Parts: sequence; structure tokens; C-alpha cells
Amino acid sequence: MSERTLMDGNRATAEGAIAGGCRYFFGYPITPQSHIPERMSLRLPEVGGVYLQAESEVAAINMCYGAAACGAKVMTTSSSPGISLMQEGISYMYGAELPCVIVNMVRGGPGLGNIAAAQSDYWLSTRGGGHGDGQMITFAPWSIQEVYDLTYESFDIALKYRAPVSLLGDAILAQMMEPVQERKPLDAALSQTDWGIGGERHGREKNVITSIYIQPRALEELNHRLYARYAQAAREETRWAELGAEDPEILVCAYGIAARICQTGLELAAAAGVKARLLRPISLFPFPTAPIREWSEKVRKILVVELSMGQFVEDVRLAVEGRCPVEFSGHTGGVVHTPEEVAGVLGNL
Amino acid sequence: MPKNLKQLSQSEVRLTAGHRLCPGCAEPIAVRQVLMGTDDPVVVVSATGCTEVSTTIFPYTAWAVPWLHIAFENAGAAVSGVEAMYKAHLSRAAKGQPLPDYVSADKPYKFVAFAGDGGTYDIGLQSLSGAAERGHQFLYVCLNNEAYMNTGVQRSGATIMGTHTTTSPAGRVSQGKRVNRKDLTEIMAAHDIPYVAQSSTARWRDLVSKSEKAFAIDGPSFINCLTPCPLGWIYDSGVTVEIAQLASDTCVWPLYEVLDGQYKLTYRPKEKKPIEEYLQIQGRFRHLFKGEEGAEMRKMMQEWVDWKWAQLLKKCGQEV
Repeated sequence: MSERTLMDGNRATAEGAIAGGCRYFFGYPITPQSHIPERMSLRLPEVGGVYLQAESEVAAINMCYGAAACGAKVMTTSSSPGISLMQEGISYMYGAELPCVIVNMVRGGPGLGNIAAAQSDYWLSTRGGGHGDGQMITFAPWSIQEVYDLTYESFDIALKYRAPVSLLGDAILAQMMEPVQERKPLDAALSQTDWGIGGERHGREKNVITSIYIQPRALEELNHRLYARYAQAAREETRWAELGAEDPEILVCAYGIAARICQTGLELAAAAGVKARLLRPISLFPFPTAPIREWSEKVRKILVVELSMGQFVEDVRLAVEGRCPVEFSGHTGGVVHTPEEVAGVLGNL
Repeated sequence: MPKNLKQLSQSEVRLTAGHRLCPGCAEPIAVRQVLMGTDDPVVVVSATGCTEVSTTIFPYTAWAVPWLHIAFENAGAAVSGVEAMYKAHLSRAAKGQPLPDYVSADKPYKFVAFAGDGGTYDIGLQSLSGAAERGHQFLYVCLNNEAYMNTGVQRSGATIMGTHTTTSPAGRVSQGKRVNRKDLTEIMAAHDIPYVAQSSTARWRDLVSKSEKAFAIDGPSFINCLTPCPLGWIYDSGVTVEIAQLASDTCVWPLYEVLDGQYKLTYRPKEKKPIEEYLQIQGRFRHLFKGEEGAEMRKMMQEWVDWKWAQLLKKCGQEV
């Protein structure tokens, strides 16, 4: 077994990005993710990259727009209120079909909220990127290794779909430490895209990066193009993992750190004779609709555990379409379930 | 007539003890001295930052005055809104309509915004500029500790060149922040608002009297107050006042004001000290005393200080 490195989620994000070929990082301080820009400011000069601290999150996302337009692997990271400020830029990026990796170490909201762990940006990420008819490919890691891996892989996925890709972490994943197996560095050169701008054209056709389509038909065409890509992503990027009873009575759906808590909750419940299985979406958009639908025909009930007032649960209900009851257990504002609490809820279903 | 020290010591405490700012932090000193500048009722607006966070750990508050928090970039906008609401009440009252019971007709309210340098030099500059241009009656105080201290000492637009921060780390290839700070006080003076000043927590008379002038003005006013930070600047927490004094004695942070366009130096050191005296007692500049690159950076910093100081003296009509 090769050597692993102990690191927190913030550092894993930075190292995963650099190994994934990211050389352009634009950031702004906000708790609990300021260690990502700090790490990038130290590491990027070492690998010939560029770290720039923006004067605001609005500036950071638009710096990403500029660099992404040249076909580069770019990233910004923030936490919930900062991601709110980036919404306009994100909308422009998917409108202009620009790849970018956006990491959100989610904290409690709304408003100033607090700096504790939450999952209340599910809608913001999966429905968002600001105004308009688009959605954002969103991944949700549950371990520090997965934070590293998903960050590492997201740059190529963003380039493949010419779209922003979001990672949802949280205040716990940002700061908790686990051993990480680092991966082989990917190509960091400016990608040889045929759509990027910058410098000489060398006889090729003019490339245009824009999100303005005055003619309604042309804008409709753009949206169809985006949705064709989402359909492709649904086929090729949908990820989930399952564990627990092979013949469950109850299916538990949770993602990210909530799924991690449920893992122990399920073990406690199993000891008390509850037959439950955990289905954990790793991609939130595209959503693993098919496996959830499949299980909904076999189990007595589905329990959704989520650190919000109930956002992710809506996608589960859309997948289930009434085939079985979907119960919900949520905490919000930085309150986190204990495994015992999850086991208790399971025992009472 | 300015108040004497005894009168000031008896003035109403508007930011009470029990807040959770670090020992040696200059920000509560600045807030208290600024608010000594008026006996009128005040409404305070705070942008996100050390002072905001540490004085209002919910459900507690150290503020004995009406206080509003607003997100990082919006202190100028929020204070505009509060002031506009107040003015609207007064103009309705002038037409004979009753005032709401929370607005006193006989006491003129004063509106103050406190924000850090990140919230002012960087993300909040747009909303401050807008408020100044619209001409609201408010005092905006930048509590300037030259970096984002609340989130762990990241560089800001106020950080001077050569400074080590967590996002401008000093090391083999870097001598800390490569570019210099922008001159925010001059940016605000360029708005042609009635009163703009630069002060610090080293000289209480300077800061209190500048606040008195600012509060007396009908229109926007701005004070850029240097507030040393033991944690981010890396020095013993007992010498906060001395560090601020050295900032002015070396002319890294000159104290001056611009009243109706007229520049006036409010403190001229008897002898302008070399910048080294200011740098060597702070850990954030430690790297500048190792090797040739550090010496080169110190030389550049001294040249910058000399250049800015000469410019300022000229504006103030003083001999260089």
C-alpha cells in the first residue's frame, strides 16, 4: 500500500485540484474554507500556477469566467454567503458554456447564519447557478478521500460538459482530517479546446464566448444544447453508493456528512434488529433517480436524513413518485444528527 | 468646545466591556473614542468583521446603542437606508404628521458605520462610494488592521507591500505581499465629501476630535483609523498603542484630515523615524530582516513612505 497523507478537507480540495490540473485559482476569504485559498496561495506558485485573491466573491467568479474562456482549468471556493454572491457569474458561465469548478463548504443559513455544518445549499447548487434555465452538475463527497477524488475529477468533467461543476462540502468536511491517497497529476496545460479564446487564431475560425442571444430561437437553442448535455451527464456521471442490509425494510437516503452519520446510525439500528440500507447519492445533479425508484418498490418506507429543512428530500420524492412513504428527519442551522438519533428514528418507523 | 479628558471619561459608554475581541485589539479602543465624539443618540451599522462578530455573540451584545449588522459588502448601503428612513420621518413630521415613538423629535440622530479594511477597501468600496456620492448624513469608520483578521489573516487591499499574510506568504520566492495598498483615504477625499480623515488609536485626542468634527458635519464623513492587531501583526499585546504611534512616527500612517477640500496635517513627528523601527517589532515583517531580498524590500518600502509623505506635505502646504 502506498503512502497516504493526513489532511483536512480544505487541504484535500487544494491538493486534489492541483493534481487534477488546476493552475488558476481565484478566491476570497470566508470561514470555514479560508484554508483553501491559503493553501493555494502557497502551492500554486510552486507548480507554476496563479493564485489571485479577489476583492469580493463577485470578482472571484468573474476572474474564473475570464480564465475559463481561455480553456483553462480554473477553480474558486467559498462558503454559502459567498456562493450567494457568485450566482450572477455562475449563470453567465453556464450561459457562455464555460467550465469551472466551484467548491462550496456549506455553512448554516439563511443570512449570516453561522459557521457550522449544514446542507441547506442543496437547491442553490442543484437548481442554480443564479437566474435562467440551467442547472449545475453537483457532487457531494462524504469523506476527505472523496473530497480529494471528486475535486481531482471535476475539472475534466467540467471541460467535458463545458459547464460549471459544483462540489458541496460542509464545515465538518472542510476541517475534519483523514488519510488521503493522492493521485497521479493530470494534464495542467491550457486545454487544447477548439472553443477557447486568446491570442492568435492561426487561421482558425473566430471563437465567440457569450451568453447573449437576442433572438429567442437562438436562446432556446442554447437551452436545448445545455439540456442535451445534462441528459448525457445523467447517463454518464450519475453516481451513488449503497451499504447495509441486502433485504431492507427501510431505505435511508442521505448524502455527504449526513450519510456518514447514517452509516453508524444504521449499524446501531441493525444491532437492534432494524433491517435498513443506506443509499448515498454522490452526484446530486444528475440525481440517482433510477436506483431510488427501484428500491421504493421493494421497501416499506424510505427515510431521508438531511441537514436542512428538507431540500434533498424533494428529489427523493420525485424519484419515488408515491410508490412508498418517504419520511424526513432534518436538522438545520448547524445542528447535526447523532448516530443514536438516526437509529432511534429508524427504530420508530 | 472640545471635551477634556475628565469629561470624556464621564461620557456615556456605548460599547461595553464583555465583548470577545482579543486582548490588545485596537478596534474597541477606536469604536469607543469615535463614539465619544458626539452626545447625540447614535445608530451603528456594522459590516461583517472582527468587531461585528466579537461584540455580538448571540444572544449577547456589547452595544448599548441601536445596532444593525449587514453582510460584508453593504455597510455603506445599509447606513444609507437607515438614514433615508430617518430623514423621511423628519420630513413627514415637518408636514405635521406624527413621528413613530422610536424617533425623538428633539434629538438629532447620528448614523455611524463601522467596517474593517476588507469590508471597506475591497468588497464594500462600491456601497461606500455610492453612499458618499448620494450625500447621506453619516460617518463611516474603517477599522483598518490591514488584513482579513476575522477569517485568519488573509491579505487585503489595505495590506502594505512586504507583509506576510496567510494568502501572501513569505518564503523562498516571495517577500510577502508584492503590491502596495491602495490609498483609500485619498479615494474618499476624491469624492469631495465634507470631511475625510486618517487617524489611529495611538493619539486619543486626534481620533476623538476628528470624530467630533465628523459628527458635526451635515453630510457624509469618513475616518480611516489604523487599528493594530496583535494576532495578525504578531507582536506583544501590551504595545498596541506604541505600534500605532510608531506607524505615524515613521510616516507609514500619517495623521491628517481633509475638511471641505483643505488638507491639514494633524500630527507631524519631530523626527521622522526610519521604517525599520516600525517593521522590526512586528512578526509579519520578520522575513524582511533576512537576506538581500528582505533588505531590498525594506528599501522599496522606505522609498514608498518617503514619496507618499512628500506628496502629503505638499497637499497640506507644509515644507518637506
